[in-house]
Amino acid sequence: MVDLNWTLIAQIINFVILVAILTWVGYKPLMKALADRQAHIAESLETAEREKVAAEELKLEYQQQLAQARNQAQAIVEKATKLAEQTKEEILQEARTEHARLLKAATEEIARERELALTAMRNEVVNLSIAAAGKVLGQQLDEAANAALVSNFINSLDEQKLGDLKC
Amino acid sequence: MEQGGAHEIGVHKAAEYFGLTFNIETLYMTWISMAIVIVFAFVATRRLKMVPGGWQNFLELIVTALLDQIESAMGPKGKKMAPLLITLFLFLLVSNWLGLVPGFTSPTSDLNTTLGLALLVIALVHITSIVNKGPGAYIKHYFQPYIPFVVINLIEEAAKPITLSFRLMGNIFAGEVLIVILGKLVPMWIPIPNIVWLAFSVFVGVVQAFIFTMLSMSYLAGSMSDDH
Repeated sequence: MVDLNWTLIAQIINFVILVAILTWVGYKPLMKALADRQAHIAESLETAEREKVAAEELKLEYQQQLAQARNQAQAIVEKATKLAEQTKEEILQEARTEHARLLKAATEEIARERELALTAMRNEVVNLSIAAAGKVLGQQLDEAANAALVSNFINSLDEQKLGDLKC
Repeated sequence: MEQGGAHEIGVHKAAEYFGLTFNIETLYMTWISMAIVIVFAFVATRRLKMVPGGWQNFLELIVTALLDQIESAMGPKGKKMAPLLITLFLFLLVSNWLGLVPGFTSPTSDLNTTLGLALLVIALVHITSIVNKGPGAYIKHYFQPYIPFVVINLIEEAAKPITLSFRLMGNIFAGEVLIVILGKLVPMWIPIPNIVWLAFSVFVGVVQAFIFTMLSMSYLAGSMSDDH
């Protein structure tokens, strides 16, 4: 059963040949494939890590830009609001001033016109009075004395009967 | 499994070449095993892909598992021994399983095969030991811790290849014997014992190949470490 012979040597040689063939056919390509895969995985992981960091940075940047834009928008709106307020105030001020000026001018104009009208009217009245008096009396008085007389008369009229229409 | 097969239990056909005796059947079976292993390795490593599948995946599973063992047992220096140990495992696995196919016998059921492999491993152990530690330290370590221990140390060294080879040969040979005996004892229409024993033999084949490889690995690791 246990018969040792030259088979032993042959088996050793067989096995050494098998090791050589397997190393050449299987082991080396497989080791290369494993190393390649390891390198590939490491590279993929590294790339992923790098991209993740880049994405993070980009996100941060975008967030900053967004915040900046929001602040700017806020500032612009505030500025616009302030400007509008100011403009409104100015316009109102101007309008008020204009209004006051116009009112004043109109009042003065009215007063002047009335003065003129009154003066004209008074002269007219004096002349009419003199003409009427001359016709009534039939005689011509001294013109200056006449005027003084009528004027005096009208003044006294003013005081007594035309109380609220001041000259 | 009928007795009319090519072999009788435990008797290896011998042939003489150049006046030297060879167990020719064992050699044939060895070459068949070698062919299977080579074809398997060849098929598994053609068109190697980044994402392994099929045979490549299977081979990678075995190789990476063994490489992990080698790495942890021998450290980085063990890489040089990796092809030998991986080949050893694959060859023993296929050899052990070959005997389960009707009409074939395991090359490992012949002591010539197992003792040859064991002697090869042990020779390698001693060579690496001498290279690694230097001849002086190598000889000195037989006389550790005291000079009389040389007897025990020598027996230990001699026991290594013997246990290694007889363990494997005994297991596989017994498996084959029992397959034949079961085939004779149990009628063919009760196949359960045969199937159970065949399944167990498949398991034994893996375990024995693994044990032989692991022990070779640990012996080699011992010769490579600087302490001891």
